[in-house]
Amino acid sequence: MREDELGRMYSEGEQIFGEGQEGDRMYVIQAGRVKITKKSRTGDMTIAVLESGDIFGEMALFDKLPRSATATAMGNTRVLTIDKDKLFQTISRDPTLAFRIISSMSSRIRRLDDELIQVKKNKLNICTDLDETCEYILEEAKNVIPAENGSIMLLDEDGETLSVRAAFGKEWNPKIKLRVGEGVAGDVLKTGKAELINSVSQDARFKSGSAKISSMLCVPLKWKTSIGTLNMSNSSNKLFTLEDLKMLRSLAMYASIAIQNAKSCAQLKSTTEEMIMHVSLLDVS
Amino acid sequence: MADPFILEDGSHIAVVGGGPTGSFFSIFALRMAKMINKNLRVTIYEPKDFSKDGPLGCNRCGGIISELLVQALAVEGINLSDRIVQRGIDSYKLHTDHGTVSIDTPTHEKRIAAVYRGGGPKGTMGQEKESFDGFLLNLARQEGALHVPLKIDHIEYRNSKPVLLSREGDVQEADLVVGAIGVKSQTSKLFEHMRFGYRRPETVTAAIAEIGFDRDILSERFGASVHLFLLPLKEIKFAAMIPKGTYVTICILGKNMNVRSVNEFLDHPAVAAVLPASVPYKIGCRCLPQMNVRAPGVPFTDRVVMCGDAGSTRLFKDGLGAAYLMGKAAAKTAVFHGVSADHFRREYLPVYRSIVNDNRYGKILFQATDLFKKYKTLTRGMLKVISREQEDQYRSKRLSSVLWDMFTGNERYKNIFFRTLNFPLQHDLLCEITKEFIAGKA
Ligand SMILES: Cc1cc2nc3c(=O)[nH]c(=O)nc-3n(C[C@H](O)[C@H](O)[C@H](O)COP(=O)(O)OP(=O)(O)OC[C@H]3O[C@@H](n4cnc5c(N)ncnc54)[C@H](O)[C@@H]3O)c2cc1C
Repeated sequence: MREDELGRMYSEGEQIFGEGQEGDRMYVIQAGRVKITKKSRTGDMTIAVLESGDIFGEMALFDKLPRSATATAMGNTRVLTIDKDKLFQTISRDPTLAFRIISSMSSRIRRLDDELIQVKKNKLNICTDLDETCEYILEEAKNVIPAENGSIMLLDEDGETLSVRAAFGKEWNPKIKLRVGEGVAGDVLKTGKAELINSVSQDARFKSGSAKISSMLCVPLKWKTSIGTLNMSNSSNKLFTLEDLKMLRSLAMYASIAIQNAKSCAQLKSTTEEMIMHVSLLDVS
Repeated sequence: MADPFILEDGSHIAVVGGGPTGSFFSIFALRMAKMINKNLRVTIYEPKDFSKDGPLGCNRCGGIISELLVQALAVEGINLSDRIVQRGIDSYKLHTDHGTVSIDTPTHEKRIAAVYRGGGPKGTMGQEKESFDGFLLNLARQEGALHVPLKIDHIEYRNSKPVLLSREGDVQEADLVVGAIGVKSQTSKLFEHMRFGYRRPETVTAAIAEIGFDRDILSERFGASVHLFLLPLKEIKFAAMIPKGTYVTICILGKNMNVRSVNEFLDHPAVAAVLPASVPYKIGCRCLPQMNVRAPGVPFTDRVVMCGDAGSTRLFKDGLGAAYLMGKAAAKTAVFHGVSADHFRREYLPVYRSIVNDNRYGKILFQATDLFKKYKTLTRGMLKVISREQEDQYRSKRLSSVLWDMFTGNERYKNIFFRTLNFPLQHDLLCEITKEFIAGKA
């Protein structure tokens, strides 16, 4: 540290304080940057990167709770400590000293508000995007049942045609549409019974598209009534087992709930977004 | 009818003196006015060019920014960068006739700043560094104050508003005049002539000398410590050596210092131990500034308020901290309340008085210090207690922190005073003093 500098030097990665520790001081960055991180299930999450002149660690002074996050130096960082006792004594004589702490806290709350809205929006997106939900279900299905092709077909709003909402496999034709009762999927939708067909070419219901299919699993997706089908198939000579069918049926139960959720959310989405817009406008004004 | 003493959009504040008090006042008045969407005009009259070296650009002081002030400023968003700080200080070395002890900051952090008020000692102009007073004046300008490099020579009332006149320039009417003129100029007469009862503060003459070293020698000899001397010299209350870039500021506080005082001090054995004749040094500049030791009783009238050294300051320490407190208190009163004598009496006087009253405790503490430095047994007892406290990490640092706070200006005298009455501290001291006494007899 140079002779003409104030405060204390922390080197890259050095911790200034840790989440959960007791804290009785606040800090002001003199030079360099400080990363504020919080522990989460998936590891440390960076919640802010603060710069020269910024205040941090003030929360523990006011709420007397352990540190809510960890502060770490990013590169060589120089920090000045502010003692709690002296600070409060000075504030009690001159309350305006707290103005800047308050304004720093309120700009932080504003930023958090913005992030919160972003997070909320993202969450809504995940659950409202029906196609994304279907992709996600197929991804899961592929993990448990080895298959070359797969698709989710859902009943359209008219209640009469099934169309592909998500698919994988190189020979799968996602443009295909089936009427209720038509083809294997149309029939499964109508009967509500899961089927394992290891000789597709011999099945009279089968409507051949451009893809060559030799074996397939087809289970209905049900929410009160049938809403679609979950299909897995092989183009090669690989066969499915009964075990596969059972697995897929279990998966279909969860899939149905997720799909129904996504559908309901989609309806809620526009209303909710309107409300959020409203709230953030109120906050700004 | 609207209260004529409440500042409105476009009101004009004239600040006479752009030292720390004038700048602090302006910075906070403008910030607070912005907070409530008030548009004030602030003009600072300051003839000095703070970038000049030597006495011409300098408001003459030791240049220590106390721990308390460094922290308060940081919270205000005013951070002292390495352009202003000459040296960061993390400890005090207390030298007496009977030994030396070191008192460290608890966190080993550099929390005190040594600065130059002007461009530095004679012959050092053009360094990379900035003066503290210049830095604050610049901040005030950034907040929107206008700096006019004029000396104010006359103030009078016209139509119940003060008007400022300068031999060299324009006439200005103001809704409020802030007297931030310090104690070192004849300008107090301007305010005395306004007949509201203001009198120039009582002062004593202090001595300052800048001695220049080779940078490495300076760092090795003085480190990041202020060296404090409590010596049994009658005229000298205490003296300090404050290391900066390539100079050490020697600051001698006492009753009536003169040119000889510096030499006498340098010749004293305890000083020679720190600064032996074998170490080459040169004296860069010297001055004998006035120091405020008693505040005037009436620091305001309608549309006029006296702040900083021109009013009350903290006895023997942290005058800059007092400048901050008073400048801000006056700004708060003017912006949020009003500028009549009544407003100042209600809002500003309590802050002013608290500083004056606190100095009463300061006087007692300094009398006690005089006693301690006069009698060998007391000095030694005190040194023993401090060095024991400093050596043992787990021992509570009662006496060390009393002395630290007393000389660094980290705490009000009143609070320090009550801490000295603390029983364990008295007990520790008494034990050591008794031991010294017995050893002395034996
Ligand atoms: C020997 C000594 C050592 C000290 N050491 C320290 C220390 O280490 N730390 C500390 O905190 N304090 C210290 N002090 C106290 C400190 O110097 C003062 O408290 C501080 O300077 C007060 O600031 P001020 O702005 O009120 O006055 P000043 O600093 O005196 O500023 C007054 C300004 O007003 C201007 N002015 C005067 N008349 C006019 C006019 N007619 N028109 C226009 N402008 C005018 C002057 O040019 C000057 O710039 C020390 C004091 C002395 C005497």
